[in-house]
Amino acid sequence: MTEGTELAELRQEVRGWLDANAPTGWRDSNDDHEAFAQSQREWFAKLVEGGYAIPHWPAEWPGGGRNLAEQKVIYEELARADTPRLLLSFVSTYHAASTFFECGSQAQKDRYLPKILEGETWCQGFSEPNAGSDLAALKTKAERKGDVYVINGQKVWSTMAQYADKCLLLVRTSSDGPKQAGITYLLMDMKAKGVSVRPINQIQGDQEFCEIFLDDVEVPVEERVGEEGQGWAVAQATLASERGLTLMELSYRMRGALWRIAELIRKNGLEEDAGVLRDFGHLVARTDSACAIADQFLRNRIDGIERVGDASIVKNTYSRVLREYSLLGTRLGGMEEQYRAPITFGDLNTGNWMADFMNSYAWTIAGGSEEVQRNIISERMLEMQREPKNWVVS
Amino acid sequence: MIELNELKDAAQKAFPADQLSPDRDESWKLIAEMGWLMLPVPEELGGLGLGRDAATALHFELGRVLSSAPLITAMFSVQVLCAADKLANKAEWVERACSGEFITLNMLSNDVTLNDDGTLSGPLYAVPDADMASHVIVFVPGLSVLVPLDTDGVTVTERPLWDESRRLFEVTLEKCPVDRDLVIAEGDRSQEIGLGFKAESLLALAADSLGGATATLEMTVEYLKTRKQFNRPLAMFQSLKHRCADLKTQITAAEALLWSRAADMDASLADMGALKALAADVYQFVTEEAIQLHGGIGLTDEHQCHLFMKRAMLNLSLGGSGDELKERTGRQALAAFAAK
Repeated sequence: MTEGTELAELRQEVRGWLDANAPTGWRDSNDDHEAFAQSQREWFAKLVEGGYAIPHWPAEWPGGGRNLAEQKVIYEELARADTPRLLLSFVSTYHAASTFFECGSQAQKDRYLPKILEGETWCQGFSEPNAGSDLAALKTKAERKGDVYVINGQKVWSTMAQYADKCLLLVRTSSDGPKQAGITYLLMDMKAKGVSVRPINQIQGDQEFCEIFLDDVEVPVEERVGEEGQGWAVAQATLASERGLTLMELSYRMRGALWRIAELIRKNGLEEDAGVLRDFGHLVARTDSACAIADQFLRNRIDGIERVGDASIVKNTYSRVLREYSLLGTRLGGMEEQYRAPITFGDLNTGNWMADFMNSYAWTIAGGSEEVQRNIISERMLEMQREPKNWVVS
Repeated sequence: MIELNELKDAAQKAFPADQLSPDRDESWKLIAEMGWLMLPVPEELGGLGLGRDAATALHFELGRVLSSAPLITAMFSVQVLCAADKLANKAEWVERACSGEFITLNMLSNDVTLNDDGTLSGPLYAVPDADMASHVIVFVPGLSVLVPLDTDGVTVTERPLWDESRRLFEVTLEKCPVDRDLVIAEGDRSQEIGLGFKAESLLALAADSLGGATATLEMTVEYLKTRKQFNRPLAMFQSLKHRCADLKTQITAAEALLWSRAADMDASLADMGALKALAADVYQFVTEEAIQLHGGIGLTDEHQCHLFMKRAMLNLSLGGSGDELKERTGRQALAAFAAK
């Protein structure tokens, strides 16, 4: 595929910058959480300085205002250079930023957006033990007392909450009416009194997700996004960013990282193995189609012709291709992948394919599980009849 | 883009979704009248000079209705004629082909050889609709030439398919003379032409597959919404719903790749092969599931499920098998994604 001159120049520019600045040996800190977090902070700061951390932000931000084609080039090159993904600042630069851009007050934008570029990190306090796929059933309670909300409850599956400075928090301010109507969106300081975080040990040996316990935590009223009771709509803005821009970044990173499979094939001397070449060829086509659907989705969104269910299709495509990708890597890697590797945080290039395979579940389960997306696609897009509401299970 | 939508609308009007498997000869007449064969022809040869996405849109729509007219083959041969550099009266040939004289060519490899005396001998396999063609384009190393099907030494035998929406013939040449006026190209140029439009025919087959898959899923979802068992529509059962959602996801993702490749003039033969393999796999799976989701009615001859299934199965093989195409993609990617 050949590119227009401007894109080709950008690619050279990014490649040149990465030659000089891409971190090396970052997987060596895989057995030390603090060192990993530190290396993430340093890499983020460097990317901000280089102008490649937030290509998806508006143009008034340094490094922002890149069009989609330019963003894709940047993501592909970041993966090609084998740089670590920005796990620690993922929620900050996407979920938090999108929420502020779309629903934040001017004061909130002024206060928080510059801080994100300085390295302030956010986590998401949405899911609860009894509100997973049925997120609107959340029960964490917020009571208005003068100028503050007093919060009690428990959140779960908060990615990297143990390192977060702030939290995007969904709380229940009312139990009247439909369950969505009583939800309010708050910005909480993770260092506030009454907040405690407990990391969850996961199957791949890391602690990417946490539980957050909230015990009489006070959040000032000016830290509310949108009106009281309007939190569900604000949360959709947060989640929409996940199903759009993040999946474009991840799809193009996956494409840019296909060399890792090629390397495995060469390493194992399988260059002439027809079966392996077919599987690789199929994966390449699937990865290309994941990129194509992410592209199409964003173009439709920009043109205002996004349809209900489109985002679900993008998510289910990416998450399945990611599973296939990490499974092929695990298979080709053979026994070597079965020896336990120290993993701090998950991604699609931890350096151990078995770990990557286990991490891939994050995408079929988190952010609205594959099954929830299937419901959306079948009921809202294909208009298949819904099951009767108000099931009673005795 | 407006042009593309207009073309899609025109195709849907000419070939309405509720009339599956329209008559081949009627369809062919309609296609010629609509001027669709001129779409890929350069303007200097009297064509419309439209991009590949225009042809892709048509193949998609005709795939939806299981059109039996040989548009994919015809567009291939029209493009070969346009690229000819030896053909006498080329403009006239292009005009004839565009106005409905069907010239066929074989969709798979052939075993034709150029004899020492300059004649051609050997079989051409899987030649579409040879019964309605005036000529077949024969590619042998270093030569491509039009051979009239009524020449002495040409035998045309139909090999009936499971898929009744398409007709394939075996054309055998026995010491057929090469008419110098009918030579299309020679040397490397001939090879180049053959491969160049091979890529387009793979794109066309991908479009046909995804058009067919789309129609099959729509038909299946409609059936599930209507058919009741246990006092509720089958569509209400989540186990069936989720299968339909997965089919929709697979079709949509493959279709996104279809349009992106249709617009990408730099896509290689391997890229188009990868797309065709993916699209044909999706079509096959959708039609396999469609019969299962319809239940017994899906096994009856009067229901349309099997028509789509048989065409999907044929599409797996036309233009090259998935095994072959995926391997080629893997090989290309192995070279392209060199180690860092």
